[in-house]
Amino acid sequence: MGRSVGFAIYGVIGLICIGLPFFAESDVVVAVMPPGLSGSTLLHIGILIFLFGYLATSWNVLGGFCGQLSLGHAAFFAIGAYTSSLLYIHFGLTPWVGMLAGAAVAAVVGYGLGYVSFKYGLKGPFFALVTIAFAEILRLLMLYWDFTGGPLGLLIPLTEDSWSDMQFMAKEPYYYMAFGLMIFGILATAKIGSSRFGYYLRAIRESEEAAEALGIHSMRNKMHAAAISAAMTALGGTFYAQYTQYIVPDDVVKIALSIEIILFAVIGGSGLVMGPVVGAFILVPIGEMTRVIFSTAATGVSFVALVNSDIPAVEKFAKYLDYLASGGGGGLALLLYGAILIFVCLVMPRGVLPALKSLQSWGKKS
Amino acid sequence: MSDFILEATNISKRFGGLVAVKEASISVKRGDIVGLIGPNGAGKTTFFNMLSGFMPADTGEIFFKGKKINGMRPSNICKLGMTRTFQIVKPFPELTVLENVMIGAFNTTSSTTDAKKIAMEVLNLVGYASYADMSAGSLTVAGRKRVEVAKALATKPELMLLDEVLAGLTPTEMWSMIDVLGKVRDQGVTVLIVEHVMAVIMNLCDQVFVLNYGEKIAEGTPAEVSENPKVLEAYLGDDYGKPASGAN
Repeated sequence: MGRSVGFAIYGVIGLICIGLPFFAESDVVVAVMPPGLSGSTLLHIGILIFLFGYLATSWNVLGGFCGQLSLGHAAFFAIGAYTSSLLYIHFGLTPWVGMLAGAAVAAVVGYGLGYVSFKYGLKGPFFALVTIAFAEILRLLMLYWDFTGGPLGLLIPLTEDSWSDMQFMAKEPYYYMAFGLMIFGILATAKIGSSRFGYYLRAIRESEEAAEALGIHSMRNKMHAAAISAAMTALGGTFYAQYTQYIVPDDVVKIALSIEIILFAVIGGSGLVMGPVVGAFILVPIGEMTRVIFSTAATGVSFVALVNSDIPAVEKFAKYLDYLASGGGGGLALLLYGAILIFVCLVMPRGVLPALKSLQSWGKKS
Repeated sequence: MSDFILEATNISKRFGGLVAVKEASISVKRGDIVGLIGPNGAGKTTFFNMLSGFMPADTGEIFFKGKKINGMRPSNICKLGMTRTFQIVKPFPELTVLENVMIGAFNTTSSTTDAKKIAMEVLNLVGYASYADMSAGSLTVAGRKRVEVAKALATKPELMLLDEVLAGLTPTEMWSMIDVLGKVRDQGVTVLIVEHVMAVIMNLCDQVFVLNYGEKIAEGTPAEVSENPKVLEAYLGDDYGKPASGAN
């Protein structure tokens, strides 16, 4: 019962996603959208939701199922982006093949990183530190190396609309590619989750010793999880490179990206197949909306001046609202985003999806 | 090679200056329930950890089914047919009871459907099928111990090492667990059990080994061991036979 309701909700949302490009520019949608948003922005937000949903889903294999807290997944994202882009620029290799090459490189690197870390028994925060260090080293190397374009990064040579070059002027093809990527991520992790491998990963997360006693080679399984998670993340990197046509180390290997990926997974419900996607669907729009609303249109009034003015409190409060509504204060966007995050963490410490599930079973009981 | 499924000779473990296990030997006959007893701190759990591969032995050799298993990973030892439970139970708390037992069942199958089937059979055997959908983290101590045994049993072992599966149980829970252990033996599984509860040792075991301060001080049938003066001394103190002194 609860399961089929869940599937129905996902189905409806999925259909809306598929149909969005067809009515993004319609009068109805434009009318209800906050000022400053256009249909094209809406598609862009959709692409970000799908991409981050996919990346968080990829992270979920290692961080959620297996419980190994990687804080350096941006590194695998960058490996995917750079590998396919370099192969395209220098050899004209289509990104469709390049993305597989990137995934393969990331898998090998993930396997190696897992080997080094798990061989010496690094767990929890220590593994997290190693992954941060790894991503930072990679970022510095990419800034330093010539073949990665250094700090200037790589510019992907423009062609006309072409499926074989994975390049388009319009947003719609990217939109559907990102959507497909996300669906692929969901199906792949659902498959992993219900397989023996998935059960093994969860057992390792809960108790590595107990898992070993039951015949689970914990190190081998953790390394496989790292490799799969890295390869999946790299596919997202190639997509990103093709979408933005321009990659720089400070964009694709930055620590903030690694953290964002985890944030979506954790807020949505890590360790659950749909958790990371739910997280992306909630947080990406909030992040984008607050940014758009608070950064466009200025009233010309300084926030500090408003606070210091001698008008009565009630009037002052009304002016605050005016100020916010008219889009004052860029930093407020992050402030509000942060407040929402803290609120979600306090109210739903295990994520939105588990909270919804327990709410549902609680509803059934009473 | 012999009818002994497990043979360990002269194995020792030293932690810094403390010798936890000193050249202890044990041989477990196929099909038996063998008890390992001793006062607190006698080195029983350390001994277990070495046998199951969780701790390397400093000296000595361990043979399981005639194959030397020193230095093997616990998971590989489990694949050979020896598994263990933990004194401080280690359930997978976020998973359901059924899923916990399925993890063990995956030792012999890669199909989720088969694993589920094996797990249900084991849960029926230990009389815990009605708890299948509960999360393991929400169980009582008695429940967790039973799941611990079920998990191990689901790996289809030839030898099970049980570390104090009765400690902390009420008498009712204890007798029901003893019943489970009898069923385990009836499955043809050899059992090596560490236990404090003498009733179990007396009722169930075919052979008993006694450790004290890391050394094996006695072995034999429960009746023989309970008559052994060294054993009585270890448990009751060296003046157990003498009349109580007036000064006390």
